[in-house]
Formats: sequence, structure tokens, C-alpha cells
Amino acid sequence: MDPLLLARLQFATTTSIHFLFVVVTLGLVTLLVGLQTAGFVTGKPVYERLTRFWGQLYVLNYVLGIATGIVMEFQFGLNWSGLSRYVGNVFGAPLAIETLVAFFLESTFLGMWIFGWHRLRRGIHLALLWGVALTAYASAFWIMVANAWLQHPVGYEVRDGVAHLTDFGALLTNPTLGFAFGHVVSAGLVTGGMLMAAVSAAHLLRRTPDYALFRKSLRIGLITAALAVTTLQGFGFAQFGPVGKLQPTKFGGGADRDALVADWTTRFGPGDYTPPALSSVGLGFMILIGFTLGCAWFLLPLLWRDWIIRLKFPLWLVLLAVPLPFVAVILGWIAREVGRQPWVAYGLLPTGQAVSPVSPGLMLTSLIGFTLLLGTLAVTNWVLLVRHAARGAHDPALGRPPAPDADHHPHPVFA
Amino acid sequence: MELAWYALLGLFFATYLVLGGYDYGVGLLLARGATPGARRAALNAVGPFFLGNEVWLVAAVGILFGAFPTLEGELLSGLYPAVLGALAGVVLVTAGVQLRSRPRGGTARAFWDRVVVAGSVLAALGWGALLGGLLQGVPPAGDGHPAGVGHLFTPFVAAAALALLALVAVHGATFLTLRLPVADVPSVARLARGLMPAALTAVATATALGLLSDRVRAAVARPAVAVLLPLALVATLLMARAALRRGRAGLAFAATSVALALPVPLVGAALWPRVLVSTVDPAAAPQLTDAAVLTVADAAASGPTLALLGWLALPLVPALLGFQAMCWWVFRGRTDGRAPVYW
Repeated sequence: MDPLLLARLQFATTTSIHFLFVVVTLGLVTLLVGLQTAGFVTGKPVYERLTRFWGQLYVLNYVLGIATGIVMEFQFGLNWSGLSRYVGNVFGAPLAIETLVAFFLESTFLGMWIFGWHRLRRGIHLALLWGVALTAYASAFWIMVANAWLQHPVGYEVRDGVAHLTDFGALLTNPTLGFAFGHVVSAGLVTGGMLMAAVSAAHLLRRTPDYALFRKSLRIGLITAALAVTTLQGFGFAQFGPVGKLQPTKFGGGADRDALVADWTTRFGPGDYTPPALSSVGLGFMILIGFTLGCAWFLLPLLWRDWIIRLKFPLWLVLLAVPLPFVAVILGWIAREVGRQPWVAYGLLPTGQAVSPVSPGLMLTSLIGFTLLLGTLAVTNWVLLVRHAARGAHDPALGRPPAPDADHHPHPVFA
Repeated sequence: MELAWYALLGLFFATYLVLGGYDYGVGLLLARGATPGARRAALNAVGPFFLGNEVWLVAAVGILFGAFPTLEGELLSGLYPAVLGALAGVVLVTAGVQLRSRPRGGTARAFWDRVVVAGSVLAALGWGALLGGLLQGVPPAGDGHPAGVGHLFTPFVAAAALALLALVAVHGATFLTLRLPVADVPSVARLARGLMPAALTAVATATALGLLSDRVRAAVARPAVAVLLPLALVATLLMARAALRRGRAGLAFAATSVALALPVPLVGAALWPRVLVSTVDPAAAPQLTDAAVLTVADAAASGPTLALLGWLALPLVPALLGFQAMCWWVFRGRTDGRAPVYW
């Protein structure tokens, strides 16, 4: 088999799984910051219970985010050594910054947050969560800087066939960066909000004894999702401008495309410079889902006097809509990345030149091995997430007060 | 400039081996059939540090990609099987430790513990094989990329992998003497001392095989430094054993930490100024040609990239160290009934 195809399949699989967990992380951490801050300011116990319950789901979800993220980071070197060889001087910088500025601190803070309940002062504990959230956003930003550079390489010059950094500022003002970052962050908020609303809806449908708690998180989740879906659509459509101008081969034809293909043919030789149809199809379905999710606005009036809960069927709608944001983020990712083909760095480095000179057998082993490993872990993780979500908010393991001292003898109390 | 970044890369990878090393050591020791309570206590001794430990690896690879892009591609793809094994191990440990206490049933937890054990073994063997592979060099293909994978399967690399596995086990047991409640210390201290002979034997075997290997002799630029490595390892291990016998847990942990950190600077120094050496047939080509050697300077990113990252790292690295130190300080001391339990 063709190592290029295998390497691409492996990257696609790992990134897809990674992305499914990352959008939830981004959305939930934002909501958690709101919940824990509200608890800190108001002192109401319901917010602490909400923080523990949603925090537990967040922490569970984070596990696969890290596991797949580590595999992705290594894959650049394992399968795509040409990428680091030819464009590593430019592309490597934002990735290095991401690991140091963002991920390193995010995980360090999260470890302290998980084990810091009942041990750290409340203000410090809250600050740690803020740290986790800010570094998560920083992480998304730097990854998007790196990705935007692959979409539209800027700020470099090629000497002896190798790209060298000339203007780092250009990477940050890349026209393919800003709207896409807003789009991804909004997608995270929509996914997080929908998830929160749907889990709450399931509990309300089962007539939970925790009515007040899940009523609150239903409202928070739904309002967040509705607001974010609007920015999501805005950032999404706003991207057609820069993408149409800078990547004319991505969606559809026109004179620009023909001119660019003619230019590439003279510089890189004749070849098929049209991306697979998959990208346009993905785009179409994603837009449909985006409009469907926009219907969240129609549910907001039903929050008045809890009609949404009393009528019941809106809760079912929320519950059934949960897969939609996940499908949409995968389709959106396909539209962006498959639409870039056959380039790994658009118009600069063909994908075929970036793949490592590794034997097909080894590449296949790695593909099958890691797909099975990460796939199994992802499914297990989702099963655990569903079980913990179903268990309710009585006593999540996260933030459970430590067991009383072994040699502590409670005095009997006589009524 | 390249030297500074090379040192920083070494610092991050060595710190990862020290911190991740006790994660994997503790993970390995879950295999010794202790009670479920004891296994959970051991994992929660690592507890708050776990997430902050493996980030050193991610940051090291980030530095590798940002500051040494050529090396990143050639090193990881040239030593593919070792990296693959280590990576699978890291993923299994990450998932296993964090998920093991989420199911309530004892069977499920015991299953996850086995996952952690397997992951720890793979990770330790993988990183050991990577360090061994660096000392042994890689065969070049026509275009300068390393070729094939069979070159990695030699007795020396196997011995280096086993040596790191043994070091990690000793280190993990020593970490537990520092963190577990006082009542549990004697048994883990005995375990750590009992593992010492295995670690010493493994280091001695790897040394002997390395001295006998033509490829290692051809790849190493400074034999004196390379020989210093096993000597220093033996010295730190003996020191750790003496400290354990006297009940000085802190000193013993410092000694095993040095043992885990040492291989990185010494392997780097033994190869300096080269970093990846192509050794295909040392008998036929006693003088290595320039094309067959990747030096640190060749591997580094170009000036503007290093300058940009340098300005960034200057304030950042102290901040990273500061927050890690905060974590160590907040959760210092032994675990007890009052310590938070989550893993």
C-alpha cells in the first residue's frame, strides 16, 4: 500500500478523535469557569455541586484529549518528517509555543485543580480553573496559527529549498486565522452548551430529584449554545471571503482557480490540483447542521415559566440533537483540511513530499495499532462519560471531601 | 544559540525521565499483586503531580519541533519502533491512571491497573531503546534519511531498554518511600533495595554490550563521557541503596532522580557535536563522512526562529518552573487519610 495514503489516514483518524474531545473541553471549561466563579461570588451551594458534576465530566473528557494530542504531536515527526525538514523553521515555532505557553501550564493547573478541592483556598482553586481555561484557549489559538499557516503560508522565504521565518507577525495576522479561530471557539461553546443542555434534559425527563440543579444547567447550556451558534454561523460565513481569495481551488472553480492551477503546473509540473469532492460535500452538510442548530433560538422562549420542561418534547429535541455538533465539527474539519489537498502547505509543499520515508508495512502497523488503541479508548471514555452523566450529581468523585481521619472518634449525639 | 536550545531540550527530556520515570515506576509496581487499597494508595501518591509530569515530554517534543525541526523528523522516523512503543505506553498510562477509578467495580479497576502496568513497561522500554538507539546510530539511506527499522533490534538496544526499565522500577519504589504514610514505608523500601541488584546487572550488561558493539564505538565521539555514564549510574544506585537502608527517603529519591536524569546529558555529551550518527558498516567506512552525520548545528532551526523562541522562552521557562514548583510545594509531604483521592 501507499505510505502516503496510510500516513494521511492515520493523521485523519487521530485528528478526528482528538477534535471530538477538544471541542467538548473548550466548551465545558468555559462553562465551568462561569459556574465556579458564580459559586465563589454568590456562595450558593448549587454552583459548587454543578461545578463538581460538570467538572467530573470535563476531567473524564480531558483524558482522551491528552492521549490523542500526544499521538498527534509525535506523528509530525514519525510520519511527516518532510514537513519538519522543509517548513519546520516556520511551522514548528507556533507548535513549540503551544506546548510551552499553553499545554504545559494547562495540565499542571488541572492536576492542582483536581487534587486541590478542600486543600487549597477557594480563591486559589478558582484561579487555577481560570488558568486552565485561559491556557486552553491559548492552546487553540496557537494550533490555529500553525494550521492557518498550512492553509496560507506567510512570513517566510525559501532558501535552498527550505522555508525560513522572516516575519512572525504575518503568521498572527494571517487572513485564514482570525475567523477560523472564532469559528472553532464558537463550535466548542455550542458543543459544550448542547451537551450540558442534553444531559440536563435527560435527567429532567427521568424526573430527577435534583430538579433545581438540572433546571439551572439546562438553561445555562441552552442559552450558551444559542448565543454561540450565532457567532458560529457568522465566523463560518465570514471565512468564505478570505478562503475564496487565497485558496481558490478549495470550494469550486472560477478564473482564479484556473490561473492558480496554471501557475502551479508551470512551477511544480502537471498534476491533479483539485481537492477530493469530499471537502465540498462536507461543507454542505456542515452548513445544514449549522442552520438546524440555529433552531436553539426557538427553544429559548420556552424557558419562560419552564414550558420547555413541562411540554417535554423540547427536551427530547435537545437530547436527539446531541450528535449534531460532533458530526458538524468533523465535517468542518474535513472541508478545511481535505480542501487544502494536494498540498500540506498550500502552494508550497505537496503532501507527497512531506511523508516520511518509512516502509508501508511499518506505517500500516502504526495505523492499525493506534487506530485500534485510540478508538477503543475513545469508546470506553464515552461509555464512562455516559455512565457518569447518568449517575447524576449526588456524589461525584471529583471534589469529594476526604475521608475522616482513621483515629478520629465521633462523639455520639443524643437527640 | 544552538547549544542553549540543545541544553534546554535536554533539560526538558531529562526532567521528563525523572518525573515520568516515577509515574511509570509506580505503575510497574502495581503488578506485584498488592491489595486494591494499596494500589490506589500508590497511584494517589503520584496523584496531583501526574498531569504535570508528562507535560515535560510534550514540551520536550515541542522544543524538538520548534528548535530542531530536522532532528525531529529524522530522529522520530529513524527510531520509529522505539518511539511507537514509548508512545503507546505513554497513552496507555495516561488513560489507565486517569480512568481506573471511574468504574466502581473491582474487576474493572483491576483491568485498568493491568493497562497501567503494560503501559509503564512499554514506555520505559521505549525510552530506553531510544537512548540506546542514539548511541548506536542509524543507517543512512541514499537521500540522507535514516532507512529501515531492523537496525534498532540489537542486543545493545535491548539491554539499554531493560536497564531503563530496571532504573524506573527502583525510582518508582523510592518515590513511594517518600510519599506513602510512614507505616507503609518499610515494605516499599525493602522492595526498592531488592530491585537494586537487577538494576545494577542491567546497567552492567548494557555497558558490556555497548563496549563490544562496533556501531556504538563508531557513533560515540567522546568515549570517556560514554564510559562515565554507567559508572555514574552505579554510583548513584549504590548511594540510593545506602540512603534507603538508613531511612533517608529524600536522599534516596534525589539519588535515583539523578540516575534517571543522567543518561540524557551524558548521551548528548558523548555524541557532541553530532546528534544523529549514521552507522551502517563501520568496518567499511572507519572515517564517517560529513553526509552521514547530523550535527546539532545542522539540526537546529534557522536564526530568526531560534531568536523568536529564545525571547519567548526567557520569561516563560522560569514561569513554567515556578508553577511546577508550586504544585510540588502545595502537595508536599506524605499522603494520609486526609489527602484528596481521585485516581
